[in-house]
Amino acid sequence: MSRGEKAGETSAPHAAFTATGLCKVYRTGETEVHALRGVDLTIPEGEVLVLLGPSGSGKSTLLNIIGGLDRPTSGSLKFGQTELTELDDADLTRFRRANVGFIFQFYNLIPSLTAHENVRLVTDIAAEPMDADEALALVGLAERRDHYPAQLSGGEQQRVAVARAIAKRPGVLLCDEPTGALDSATGIHVLETLARANRELGTTVVIITHNAGIAAMAHRVLHFLDGRIARTEVNPQPADPEGISW
Amino acid sequence: MRALDLKLLRDLWHLRGQALAISLVLAAATATMVMSLGVHRSLSETRDTYYARNHFADIFASMTRAPRSIIGRVAAVPGVRRAEGTIQQYATLDLPGRVVPVRALLNSVDEYAGNRLNQLALRAGRMPQPGSPGEVVADEAFANANGLVIGSQFDALIYGRKQRLRIAGIGLAPNFVYALAPGDLIPDDSRFGVFWMGQKALEAVTDRTEAINTLSLTLERGASEADVIRAVDAVLAPYGGMGAYGRKDHLSNAFLDNELMQLNAMTRVIPPVFLLVAVFLVYIVLGRMIRTERTQIGLLKAFGYSDWAVAGHYLKFALAVALMATLIGAAAGIWMGNAMTQLYGQFYRFPFLQYRISAPVILGAAAVSFAAAALGALGGMRSAVSLTPAVAMSPPMPPAYRAGLVERLGQAAGFSATGHMIVRHIARWPGRSAITVLGVALSTGLLFATTQFLDSSRTMLDAFFFRAQRQDLTVTFTEPRNADALFALAQIPGVLRVEPVRGVAVKISNGHRTERTAIESARADSQLTVRIDRDGSAIALPVSGLMLSRQLADKLAVHAGARVHVEMLGGRRTQVILPVAAIVDEFIGERAYASEATLESIARDAAPVGAALVRIDPAERNRILTYLKDLPLVLGVTEKTAALEKFEQMIDENMLTMIMFYIAFASAIAVGVVYNSARILYSERAHELATLRVLGYFRSEVGIVLLGELALLVVVSVPFGCLIGYGMAQLMTAMFSSDLFRLPFAPSRASYGWAVVIVLLAALGTAMIVARRVQRLDLVRVLKARE
Repeated sequence: MSRGEKAGETSAPHAAFTATGLCKVYRTGETEVHALRGVDLTIPEGEVLVLLGPSGSGKSTLLNIIGGLDRPTSGSLKFGQTELTELDDADLTRFRRANVGFIFQFYNLIPSLTAHENVRLVTDIAAEPMDADEALALVGLAERRDHYPAQLSGGEQQRVAVARAIAKRPGVLLCDEPTGALDSATGIHVLETLARANRELGTTVVIITHNAGIAAMAHRVLHFLDGRIARTEVNPQPADPEGISW
Repeated sequence: MRALDLKLLRDLWHLRGQALAISLVLAAATATMVMSLGVHRSLSETRDTYYARNHFADIFASMTRAPRSIIGRVAAVPGVRRAEGTIQQYATLDLPGRVVPVRALLNSVDEYAGNRLNQLALRAGRMPQPGSPGEVVADEAFANANGLVIGSQFDALIYGRKQRLRIAGIGLAPNFVYALAPGDLIPDDSRFGVFWMGQKALEAVTDRTEAINTLSLTLERGASEADVIRAVDAVLAPYGGMGAYGRKDHLSNAFLDNELMQLNAMTRVIPPVFLLVAVFLVYIVLGRMIRTERTQIGLLKAFGYSDWAVAGHYLKFALAVALMATLIGAAAGIWMGNAMTQLYGQFYRFPFLQYRISAPVILGAAAVSFAAAALGALGGMRSAVSLTPAVAMSPPMPPAYRAGLVERLGQAAGFSATGHMIVRHIARWPGRSAITVLGVALSTGLLFATTQFLDSSRTMLDAFFFRAQRQDLTVTFTEPRNADALFALAQIPGVLRVEPVRGVAVKISNGHRTERTAIESARADSQLTVRIDRDGSAIALPVSGLMLSRQLADKLAVHAGARVHVEMLGGRRTQVILPVAAIVDEFIGERAYASEATLESIARDAAPVGAALVRIDPAERNRILTYLKDLPLVLGVTEKTAALEKFEQMIDENMLTMIMFYIAFASAIAVGVVYNSARILYSERAHELATLRVLGYFRSEVGIVLLGELALLVVVSVPFGCLIGYGMAQLMTAMFSSDLFRLPFAPSRASYGWAVVIVLLAALGTAMIVARRVQRLDLVRVLKARE
């Protein structure tokens, strides 16, 4: 049995992710860009975590490393008991397949597939997925299942992306500006779906946003600056997305 | 350099793989043109110069025997510029240390003045001198093949007499550019040679003092060849004239014409295939380029660049590809032209034969390439022109997919989501998918059409050497004999069976159509020779009337049941009307057959045996051949296995070389088409592929999505390719057929198989190169960008 499959099965009782001294340096020619400068972080299971900060402060880099899309230059990152930095490409793929749901600003739906088929992309390969129709129903798009992305509004497309992300019952949902391209009403609808996944499925949710209002729904808010966590806010009473002011 | 031209250079560099792939396809067209047109030009110019410089005659005639004085009478025929009479005599050579029979054709040459027509080009040594009867000039190729040098000596059996010959010079002549022994298909320099001997000496040894048996003549400008032939035939009739004929029917010249015709045919069939594919490739690549550079086009126009400046920019891209193709193609064509010319040099003897790099040919090929590239660019240029800046700078409409037939098929087949992605993308770009299918199919077709020439040749070989001819040796006699000669052969220990064959030279006419040929006959119960039809079945000789080969029947425009006029050439010059009893589909030559009785009714002579077919015990071969060398009645011996080996050697050397070229070329098409399709697919789908990777798909699974579409298109193209190949092969065998050969269309399953396998391998290899890009997908960057 490979390490990756272990990674898929292992679930830590408390901490979903534990990062220690995470650094990421991008080299372009002569110049070095320090995207992360030693981040220490623990993300408990079931937490809603919001990352705030200006462009280039390191939030996306951290999210990509947590999601297994990128590797740190140094430091350690554990998912449960599994050291992610030691996994090879295939094992990282297994890790993503089993544990991670991604939601992007520009949806990244496959234009040649209907809403239902876009969700099936994930249910086809996940170990214990929910039914694709069930996932669409969770985001309120059951009746739009046979529509192609080009036939859906932006908000609907993002909800399909959310359905696709939660259909595998992932341990963690990683959302990079999930509402960045949406108007407020639609954005709130998407956030409600994320909160519902957190509440009903116990999914850990990490959201990157420029929108400070969204921080109200988080258990914890990390403020990023120059590749470091500059400040941490703990929110004892996370707000319902419905009450968020945009 | 202007900024837009800098962009052009960088675009070319960025798309270098795709540009090179298209260039290779175009280069294949250029190379084929530069090679075949160049070789054609070199060969025909060399021929023309050689013919002119060495005074190759316009009309040829042979007769049993005529006094020298006849030359003056022929020269007096209106329209004749110059006439010359010579003696031609077949002989058998006894080369030291050689068991195999070697045949020679001796030609007389004026010891004092040299011949004025069909002049010898002396390569070494000197002409035979008066008073040295054994001196000869040997044909260069024969001397080389047999290791003969000036001063070499050997015995020859000439006209039943033994004579020692000594090589005084080495040379060649324009009437033996293609020197073929009677009954052979391919020159065999080791077993047949042409020699020139002093006139007096040859007269003496052949009992033809002041007599000749061959006439050559040239025509005045504007003279009618047909009129002169008629007049000459009338003059020669009393001397056993065999019918005069022009250059068209001169064997050496006819083979050369045939070769030139085939080179022309190649130029007409093959380059258009490459050009068509190249046009399509330029079309799809530029189309994709313009879609991805939409915003840039909008910007350029917003800055004030005219529509034509923008369109011209993309045209230049296509022309740059054509330029690259011209450079590669011209270099490859020159290299191949050299190789081909060297091959030709082995079969056609010229004093000088060099592949000449011809500027008009290269410029012409370049012009065709540029035109093809420009044609392919038209579609892209039009869409670049029609984009308005405002539209161009706004993001393109998302690709609209709709549920259609493909959708229902997919549902019915229970496709996975990725399966749907593959099938719908094909349906989304039907034109491009069709081009990919067509391109790969053309590649398969071309491969098949060229490799099946091997099948074609082998079928011909099999029909001619194995089914039709079942003898081991063909023994020709110095003059027609009666049954005693057969008996003499049958007495030789080791000879298992002897059968007579006979040929009578005739002119067969149907109305104004006339063909010179020979009517051949064999015993009704012959075991050693059979006429084989196209389907491989043996056809019996008709009891009465003639059996014509399809080729001859077509030229005479007759069908079975028609009646033709037959005039015997030489001998009694009998004229009869005979029915055409049957037509036989043969591959080689234009022949006519008749039963022994029918032939006897035409020839009416007492010594009916011209040659004998002999089957021997292989263990006795050497003894029999040695014995035959000294038998005075024997003019020559042809060994079937030697002819067969020579034919196979020609197929191996000549044809395989050509076929290797075409395998490379056809693969270039497959590579060009698949590479470009794959790159375009990759560029269109990079975003989707990255999404799949993020969702947890392995690289191999993502690779399948990328290559699945191509694989499907390639698989679909296979049957089309076989169909196209079938059509092309039929066209090409028809175009390559001539009076000399009629190529059978007899493709083997293996040829289809090879064509498909080679194309599939080329496609797979190319696709794998592109698939490696999946490794390099930058997931983060792709997903950050709006598609």
